[in-house]
Amino acid sequence: MNEVIQTLMPWLILAAGILVTLLVSVIRVESKRPAQFSALATLILTGTSAIQTLALPGEAVFAGSIEISSLSRILLALFSLIGILFIMGGDRYLTKERIHLSDYYHLLLIMILGAGVMVAAKDLVVLFIALEVMSLPAYTLAGFRRSDSRSNEAAIKYFVLGGAVGAVFLLGAAFIFGATGSTQFPAIYAWSRQPATAGNLLFAAGHFLVLVAFLFKVAAAPFHFWKPDVYEGAPTPVTGVMSTLVAVASFVTLVRLVHLPALDTSGWESYLSAVKGTVRALAVISLLVGSLVIITQKNLKRLFAYSSISQSGYLMLGVLASLNPGQGISQVLVYLFGYVFAAVGLFVLLAQSEPRGDTGVELVDLTGLVKKSPLRTALWSVLLFSMAGMPFTVGFFTKYFIFLSSVGTGEAPLVILAALCAVVSAYAYLRPIGLMVMREADPGAAQWSGGFWSQFVVIVSVILVVFLGLMPNAMIQYLKGIPLIH
Amino acid sequence: METSSSLSFLLTIPLLAMVISWVIPKALQRLYAIFGSALILGLTVYETAGILFSATSEAAKVFFVDQRLEWVSELGMSVGFRLDGVSAWFLILSALTTLVAFSTRGSWYRKQPRLFVSMGFFLLFALNSAFLATDLITFYLSYEAVFIPMIFMVGVWGENQKASAVFRFFLMSFAGSILMLVAMFQIMSMHHAATGQWSSHLADIMKVVPNAPVESLLWPCVGFFLAFAIKVPLVPFHGWLKEVYVNAPMPGTIWMSAILSKLGVVGVIRFVIPLFPAVIKEYQGPLLAVSAVSVIYAALLAIRSSEGKTLLAYSSISHLGFVMLGLFSLSAEGSNAGVLLSVGHAVTSAMLFFLLHQVEERSGNVDLSTSKGLASNYPTLFSGLFIAVLASVSLPGTLNFGGEFLVLLNAYRASALCTILAATGVILGAVYMLRFFQKLGLGTPGSANHADVALKKDLSFADLLMVILLVGIVIYGGINPGIFMKG
Repeated sequence: MNEVIQTLMPWLILAAGILVTLLVSVIRVESKRPAQFSALATLILTGTSAIQTLALPGEAVFAGSIEISSLSRILLALFSLIGILFIMGGDRYLTKERIHLSDYYHLLLIMILGAGVMVAAKDLVVLFIALEVMSLPAYTLAGFRRSDSRSNEAAIKYFVLGGAVGAVFLLGAAFIFGATGSTQFPAIYAWSRQPATAGNLLFAAGHFLVLVAFLFKVAAAPFHFWKPDVYEGAPTPVTGVMSTLVAVASFVTLVRLVHLPALDTSGWESYLSAVKGTVRALAVISLLVGSLVIITQKNLKRLFAYSSISQSGYLMLGVLASLNPGQGISQVLVYLFGYVFAAVGLFVLLAQSEPRGDTGVELVDLTGLVKKSPLRTALWSVLLFSMAGMPFTVGFFTKYFIFLSSVGTGEAPLVILAALCAVVSAYAYLRPIGLMVMREADPGAAQWSGGFWSQFVVIVSVILVVFLGLMPNAMIQYLKGIPLIH
Repeated sequence: METSSSLSFLLTIPLLAMVISWVIPKALQRLYAIFGSALILGLTVYETAGILFSATSEAAKVFFVDQRLEWVSELGMSVGFRLDGVSAWFLILSALTTLVAFSTRGSWYRKQPRLFVSMGFFLLFALNSAFLATDLITFYLSYEAVFIPMIFMVGVWGENQKASAVFRFFLMSFAGSILMLVAMFQIMSMHHAATGQWSSHLADIMKVVPNAPVESLLWPCVGFFLAFAIKVPLVPFHGWLKEVYVNAPMPGTIWMSAILSKLGVVGVIRFVIPLFPAVIKEYQGPLLAVSAVSVIYAALLAIRSSEGKTLLAYSSISHLGFVMLGLFSLSAEGSNAGVLLSVGHAVTSAMLFFLLHQVEERSGNVDLSTSKGLASNYPTLFSGLFIAVLASVSLPGTLNFGGEFLVLLNAYRASALCTILAATGVILGAVYMLRFFQKLGLGTPGSANHADVALKKDLSFADLLMVILLVGIVIYGGINPGIFMKG
C-alpha cells in the first residue's frame, strides 16, 4: 500500500490540495487570497513532485486501471505549470471583470486533477470518470461571467455538447466491452491480437464512437462548431485553460485511444486503412476550415478558436504518422508542448485588455499598440510568430517535426497541403502585428494594462518560446524517449 | 584569411551593417549604404582572394573552408557553410550587386530610407548565407529569408500595381519553396531509413541519396527542380517575372535580375545535379530542351516588348536559359561555363538596369515607342549604356562572350539540336538589344515632353565611377576569362 501511495503522490497532493483550497475559501468568504495561495501552493507541490518522480519506472495501480508512467507524470507537471501560469496571469482580469471568487480556484484544481487522471487512465470506466471530472468544472467556469449572456451561452453550449460527448463515449465503451469482455486497455489490446478477433465489427463500431467523442473534444473539423462560441463567451483565462490543458489532455487521450487495439497485427489491415483514411480526411478538413476561416475573423478569441482547429489538423498529421510501424507519438507531444508554451502567453496577453462592454477583444483594439506599449507589442509579435511557425520560435520546430515524420511515412501530398495552409493562416497571425506596428490607434481601441504578474507570465512564455526555438534539442530528445502506452 | 573565421566574418558583417544603419541619420543613409557596401565588397574580395587568384584549382582548394555546427540533432538540423570556388564568386557578386543597387537614387531614399538600407544589408546577409549553405535546412531558411526584404522592396517602394506584384511574387516563390521543403524531407527520410540517423547536411545525404533507385528520387528531384526553375526562371515558370520586375523599384529589380536569379543557378549546381545524377541524366534531353526554349521564347518576348524594363527582364530570362543549358550539359566544363556566364550576366544586367535607371531619372520614362534621341543630350551615359548593350549581346572581348561560347561548346556534346536552337538566341539577343539602344538613344531628340530634359546633367562623377568599375570587370573578364574557370 505504501508503494501505491508513493507512486500516486503527485495526484494525491493535488486531490488533498483541492480539499484544502475548498476549506480555506470558506474560512474567509470575503477574501479570495487564501484560496489563491492554497491553489498555487498545491500546484507547485504537485508539479515538483511529478518532476521528481519522472525517472521512476512506470507502474500500474488499482488493479491496472491507472498507470503512472513518465507520460502521465510529465503531463501532470505540464498541467500544473499551466494552472500556475493562468492563476498568476488571470488575477487582474478576474478582478476587472468582477468575477474574482474563491470558487474559481478549486474548480480549476478539479479540472487539472481530471486531466491528470485522464492521461493516466488505463480503463475505459476510469477514463470516463476522469473526463467528467475534467469537464464539469469547465462548464461552470465557462459561464463564470454570470451577467454576460455570451458567457451563459458558452456554458450551455459547452455543457450540452459535453453531455453528448459523454453519452457517445459511454455507448462506444459499452460496445467495446461487449466485444472484448473487458474495459481495461491491456486486456483489449491482448484481445485484438488474437487471430479470431481480427476485424470484429462490434469492436470497430465501439472504437469509432469512442474516437468520435474525443474528436468533438479536440474540435477537429467537422466536429468543431461549438468551439468559436465557447471560446468567445468564456472568461479569457478559462478560454486559455480550455485551449491548453483540456486540448492537451484530450489529444493525448485521443492518440492513446486510436492505439487501443493492436492495429498492426494481421487481420486488422482493412480497419487500419479505414482509420488512416478517416484521420487523413479529418486532417484535410480541419486544416482547410481552420486556416481559411481564420482569415475572416475579427474577434481575437474567435481567431484563436479557429487557430486551434487548424492546430488539430496538424496534430492529425502527427496521429496519422503514429499509425505507421516504428513511429511513436513524440511528434504529437512536441507539437502540443510547443503550442501550450505560446498559447499560455497569448491568452494572458489577451486578458490584459480593459473590458469594453459588449464586444470582446477585436483586431481593432490592437491598432497603434506599438506607440502605447512597445514591450507588449514585442511580446505579441514573438508569440504570434510562433503560432505562424516562423523560424527561431518553437512553433517552427513543432510544425517541422510533424511534417518531417509525415513525409517519412509517405504523406508528401498531405504535407504540401498542410504547408500551404500554414502559409495562408500565417496571414491571419501576421496581420495583427501589422495593425500594431503600422496603423495609427483607432479612437475606439481598448486600453491595455497588465500588472506585474500578468506581464511576468507572458515574459516566461516568450522566453520559453524563444529558448526552445533556438535549442529545442533537449525537449525533443526527452519527449522522444516517452513510449506509447498500450 | 584561410581560417574558418573568414566564413563567419563574411556572414556577420552585413548583419553588422544592418544594425548600424538604424542609428545613421536619414540624410546620410545613401552615403552610408554606398560606402558600407563598397567596404563589404572590398572585404569579400580580400577574404576570397586566396581562392580566386590561385594559379590552379588545386592550389585554390587550400583556401576552401568547410564549417558545420550541430543545431537540432534530433531532427537532423545542422548549420553548414562552405566557401569554395563557386560560392566565392557569388559572394562577390552579391556584394557588387548591393553596391550598384544602393547607388541608385529615388523614392526609397526619401520614404523610410532607414528601412530600405537595413533591408538591403539583410538581403545581402541572406544571400551570402544561401550561397554558402551546404546544409539543406540552412539553405532553406536562407532562401526563405531572402523573401522578407524583397517583399518590403516591392510592397513599400514599388510602383503602380505593387500589391498584385507582391502577391504574385510571394505566391510563386512560396509554392516553389514548399515543394523544395517537402523534397528535402523526402531525402532526409531516405537518409534516415538507410542509416537510422536524421541529418540534413549534404555531406551525409550525399552518402546515401545519389545511390538510391531512380524511381524513388524522381519526386524529390522534381520538387527541387521546380523551386529553382521558378526562381531562375525557366520558361513555363516565368509568368510572375514581368509584373514583379516592372513594379519593383529599380534597386529591387537590380537585385532580382542580377543575383536572386542566381539562387536558382546555385541550387541546381549544389543540390539538383549532385543529389540526383541519375534522374538528371535520364531527363537530360527535356531539361536541355526547356533551357533552349527559354532562350528563344524569352528573346522573342523581348523583341515584342516596348518598354525598357520589360525588355531587359525578358533578356535576363533568355541569358539564364544559356546558363541552365551549360549546367544541364552535365560536364564539369559546362558547369564552369555556366558559372562564368552567371557572373557575366549578373554584372551586365546590374549595369544595364543601373543605366536604365539613370535614363529614367532624366527622361521620366523608358518607353521605347516615345523616347528617342537621348544620346545626344547625355553622351557619357549612353556611352556606358552602349558598352553594356554590347556586353549583353556577348561581343567578343566582353565577359559574356567567353561564358556563352563555352556553354554552347559543351552543350553541343550533349545535344546538337538544342544547342543550334539556343544559338539562334544569340542573334535574337543582338536584335532586341540593338533595337533597345537605337530607340532610346539614337535619332533626333526633342518632342514636347523632353523640353526640360536638357536641363538635367549627364552622369555624375560618382555614377561614372560606378560605370567604370562595371565596365572594367566586363572587359577584364572578357580578356582574361581564365580567372573565373577554376571552380
